[in-house]
Amino acid sequence: MESKWRKIWGLIGLLLLNFVNNVSSLSLTITKVDCVYEIVRSEGDIVSGNFVVVDHHIFWSSDHPGIDFSITSPGGGILHNLKGTSGDKFSFKAPRSGLYQFCFHNPLSTPETIAFYIHIGHIPNEHNLAKNEHLDPINVKIAELREALEAVTTEQKYLKARDAVHRRTNESTKTRVIGYTVGEYILLTIASVLQVVYIRRLFSKSVGYNRI
Amino acid sequence: MIKDSNVPMAMTFPPFLVVLLLALSTGPLCDAIWLNIPKTGTKCVSEEIHSNVVVLSDYVVVSVEDGQTATIAVKVTSPYGNNLHHRENVTYGRFAFTTEEAGNYLACFWSDNRTRGSGEVVVNIDWKTGIAAKDWESVARKEKLQGVELELRKLEGAVEAIHENLLYLKSREAERRSTSETTNARVAWFSIMSLGICIVVSGLQVWYLKRFFQKKKLI
Repeated sequence: MESKWRKIWGLIGLLLLNFVNNVSSLSLTITKVDCVYEIVRSEGDIVSGNFVVVDHHIFWSSDHPGIDFSITSPGGGILHNLKGTSGDKFSFKAPRSGLYQFCFHNPLSTPETIAFYIHIGHIPNEHNLAKNEHLDPINVKIAELREALEAVTTEQKYLKARDAVHRRTNESTKTRVIGYTVGEYILLTIASVLQVVYIRRLFSKSVGYNRI
Repeated sequence: MIKDSNVPMAMTFPPFLVVLLLALSTGPLCDAIWLNIPKTGTKCVSEEIHSNVVVLSDYVVVSVEDGQTATIAVKVTSPYGNNLHHRENVTYGRFAFTTEEAGNYLACFWSDNRTRGSGEVVVNIDWKTGIAAKDWESVARKEKLQGVELELRKLEGAVEAIHENLLYLKSREAERRSTSETTNARVAWFSIMSLGICIVVSGLQVWYLKRFFQKKKLI
């Protein structure tokens, strides 16, 4: 009976290792407040992630207040609070298991698109297993390796999102340069033609004889 | 999932174990994000994916009102507008596809009108792309890997994905650099041209007005 329980716990331990991959890399359009929830299954897990505001249009006013971001633990306490950002990374150790809330708050009325990525990393340690079960050190090392790789992946997703934002800025600059320059030429020509027409009218005989 | 008929009925599983087993048996659903679907209007999530990437996603309605689970409708569209997955009045589902074109893939959820109650519907979405969507079970069976070998193979897959991502970022950076340099050159050229046009137009003005006044015998 003991060995059967040991086998069951061993299997569960191995299965727990398999479910540490967590990938949710998504973009969300928020109007006022939007929240994303994640379940952290054991305390001590490292929650890391990042978010980037993709739709940051700075057209006529450059004092866009940015997006407020907050993380709430299942007990109701606020773990992280960022005001007026256009993107940031975060990482914390979960004090307890449960449902964590990641909220984005948009102070303005225009909808903003936010690309976010949240990763919950779990490294099995002695506390998770029963007294009779011992931990194979290679599994711990593999889990640590996996977490290191996931950290690189998280960073890459952040860079990808920022690259998308910069690309948009670049392309909009390119079209704006052409648009504004051609508009400038046309306006210049129209202004000078109007000047000539006006001066002609001033000196025209039908308007008034020697009015000037 | 773990069946052992020799365990006597008198030995009951501790409740934590039951919950854990249930969670594990529903597979990847437990490591997903939860979203609030408002009563009116749609909530859309999107991701920019390049072509030839496997996308696998499961969704389950989590909120229960008045003893029954609320239902939602789902629609997944490709960047060109093709409808990839469309279901109405469901509580759970799964969709999987391989992306053909690169672009923004959109998955929209809205709650059906039939749900009673004033609350919002909470949906559990598990969205996996690329290496995370790989079916390791079939790989393990095909190549007869298990335990540490399988884990190392997964790590190898993750490293390859990182490498690909890095190459992609590099190519995007090169594109952006060329766009920036083009814009830089264009700004310089257009400013000089603008100065040139200014001078030409004012020269034309002066010449025209001089001719006009000479015709009018004022000069």
